[in-house]
Amino acid sequence: MRNYLAGSIIVLAAILALSTVARAQTDEGQAGQQPAANRGRGRAQASAPSSTASLPFDPHDFSGVWMGRSEAPIGRLSSKAPAMTPWAQARYDAAKPGLGPRAQPLGNDPMMLCDPVGYPRIAHGGAYPMEFVQTKDRLIEFFDYFYVHRTIYLDGRPLPTDPEPTWYGYSVGHWEGNTLIVETTGFNDRSWLDTDGHPHSDQMQIEERFQRVDHDTIEAKMTVTDPKAYTAPWVTAVTWKLSPKQKMREDICAPSDELKYKQEMREPAAEKK
Amino acid sequence: MKNKLSICFGLAAALLMISSLTFAHHGSIVSYDITKIVTMEGTVTEFQWRNPHVYVMYDVKGAQGNVVNWGAETHSPIVCENQDGWSKSTLKPGDKITISVFPSKIGTARGLLAKIVLNGKVIIDDTGRGPQAGQ
Repeated sequence: MRNYLAGSIIVLAAILALSTVARAQTDEGQAGQQPAANRGRGRAQASAPSSTASLPFDPHDFSGVWMGRSEAPIGRLSSKAPAMTPWAQARYDAAKPGLGPRAQPLGNDPMMLCDPVGYPRIAHGGAYPMEFVQTKDRLIEFFDYFYVHRTIYLDGRPLPTDPEPTWYGYSVGHWEGNTLIVETTGFNDRSWLDTDGHPHSDQMQIEERFQRVDHDTIEAKMTVTDPKAYTAPWVTAVTWKLSPKQKMREDICAPSDELKYKQEMREPAAEKK
Repeated sequence: MKNKLSICFGLAAALLMISSLTFAHHGSIVSYDITKIVTMEGTVTEFQWRNPHVYVMYDVKGAQGNVVNWGAETHSPIVCENQDGWSKSTLKPGDKITISVFPSKIGTARGLLAKIVLNGKVIIDDTGRGPQAGQ
């Protein structure tokens, strides 16, 4: 009886714990859209399940403010990464993230220096909105997270053959039916792919397939191909939800703010290792 | 039997805490003891409404009348705004608060914000799941 009781309590705790994880992930992905369970104050933009999803829409028009979410934990491309090459493994081992199972109090995430987050990590910012601004020949993503933009050229130009290495890459897109296919190349190898410190090389190429499936939803599938770093393509998906009430802020990473935070909070609180 | 039960409930509570806080924020969550909550009466000296994380500095009077300046950090501004309705004027120097934190593991006067009561109102309550942020 005692054992049974004890076992039951542990099982119950495990179930509750897992459900809390699920809720935490959901909340993170939908920040700005749904009230947290124990709050409800000041959430003027909180909304019940959308009543606008069935409105008519142009599948070739992505204009608007969107919030992204995925099955992955915060800041991760997906729950599971493909196998790394020895080159990538060495970089991964040297990375000291501030989040997740490998978190350390004083890590070396480039973001702690306000280095550019880079693509595709910027697209997995969780709590932050992204605004699509679309013209006839280009699509621009404005990321509130780190306050950066990414241009996707829609004018039929080819990808450059010898691109400048950049943090956000060089992107071209074309329509196949109602799917926008975006190819990106021209990356440097200085940013992390995710909060866990997965690296990428300057050979990384990304293909994305964006489809507006209803008025309120864009499904984005991403395939990251980087044979120098991974033994197989890394396939991920993000669902973008139209969030017209979500304010676009100015979430800049200002080095002086980061330094002040480091000196006043991060370092005084941290165990030196 | 009682002891065993207590251990089980303790384990249950620990599991809940860990799962809630695993998704907390960038660069500092591992510095705090998430099994402990310390509650203090304080006077705000500084309210940092900025990235990467919002934090509040506050004075706490000790038993001998000595004053210690504490700091407690929380989410990034966008999460405080969306989830708690916070703004740049939520707190200001001079505000009297009852503040609960998950304290620093090394015993410094720093903490991860768990709860603040201002003028009789709870203005943030992360005691149940800990903060989260956009990294």
